[in-house]
Amino acid sequence: MIVLEYILLVGVIVCAIAAPLCKRLLASVIVYMALSLMMAVLWSLLQSPDLAITEAAVGAGVTSILFFLTLKKIHALKGTRDE
Amino acid sequence: MSKKEEQPDRLRQFISWVDGDREPKDRTLFVMEQRPHRDFRPSEEEFERREKDRLRKFFNWYPIAAAVICVALGIILFTTVMNMPGFGQEDNPINNEVAERYLKRSEEETGSENVVTAMIIGYRGFDTLGESCVLFLAVSAVMILLLRDRKNTSEHELQQMEREETAAQGRSDLILKQVAWVLLPFIFLFAIYVLLNGETSPGGGFSGGTILGAGLILFSAAFGHGHMRVLMNQRRYSAVRTFGLLLYAVLYGVYIFIGANGLPNYLTGMILLIDLAVGLVVACTVYGFYALFSRGEI
Repeated sequence: MIVLEYILLVGVIVCAIAAPLCKRLLASVIVYMALSLMMAVLWSLLQSPDLAITEAAVGAGVTSILFFLTLKKIHALKGTRDE
Repeated sequence: MSKKEEQPDRLRQFISWVDGDREPKDRTLFVMEQRPHRDFRPSEEEFERREKDRLRKFFNWYPIAAAVICVALGIILFTTVMNMPGFGQEDNPINNEVAERYLKRSEEETGSENVVTAMIIGYRGFDTLGESCVLFLAVSAVMILLLRDRKNTSEHELQQMEREETAAQGRSDLILKQVAWVLLPFIFLFAIYVLLNGETSPGGGFSGGTILGAGLILFSAAFGHGHMRVLMNQRRYSAVRTFGLLLYAVLYGVYIFIGANGLPNYLTGMILLIDLAVGLVVACTVYGFYALFSRGEI
């Protein structure tokens, strides 16, 4: 368990550094999503399942959806029509 | 000479100005002194040159300032973390009698097996009421800014939206639809489970409400706006949202008056109902953000 925790912690730090350094906004949002997911697993390993559920739903789910919506509105996603 | 003559006159003008709407003695309204309009405009090249200069200076300083601020912030945060008591040690200041009481007596005092829910809804219920109000007001503010209605939408925009909607229906995503068809029942089931089981297992109003809202978002994204309109229109949405907050306020008011201060807790289903109210408010908030951001209507 301890090994898994360390791996997740390193992953969280790597994601936190990578998120603002990504050139593409979409990749940045996805890295941020991955950070939230790892954080959720970490919460459940730290025995706070309440927080884990909320983190998974809010951080990985709803926040990313709002980011994607914003990217779509400003036409920053590839494959959306520009008018 | 002229100054001495001017001064009382100015004073009088000033006094009448302070007095406001009273008419000044000389029957001319006090107006602010008009300066000649400054009509200084640099030539186009001069303007560009200045702008470039300013930009260059900014870009010279920007990385240095950013680095300094980041390092300073990092040092402050690291020293704070280093000076904090170690994680999980017994003599930490958080392990005091308050935490002990929450852990030992929360079940008999609030009727909830899950200590976290007991704290959020029971002991700290007033905070949670404030949080629910914040969510409610946030959606209201977004509505004020982004909601479309007859007054702020032109014919042209409406037509464009209709065209986009028909185009979206034409090229609807098969994978998304099929996956949503399979996943949605489980998502809603899980949301309801988390919402109703906040008393005994991890979860509760906030997480359950968010999952419910996420399920609504998935439904709306996969099957389009038309199907969502059957389930929820703006009146129904506002009614549910307001009902959630009002239910919470009323229940917690009752709870404070009869349950707090060591009196026995007469209402057994209280935590469940409050959880449900919080869940409704949170789900409406999450879905409302999505709907207003993407389409400008519920």
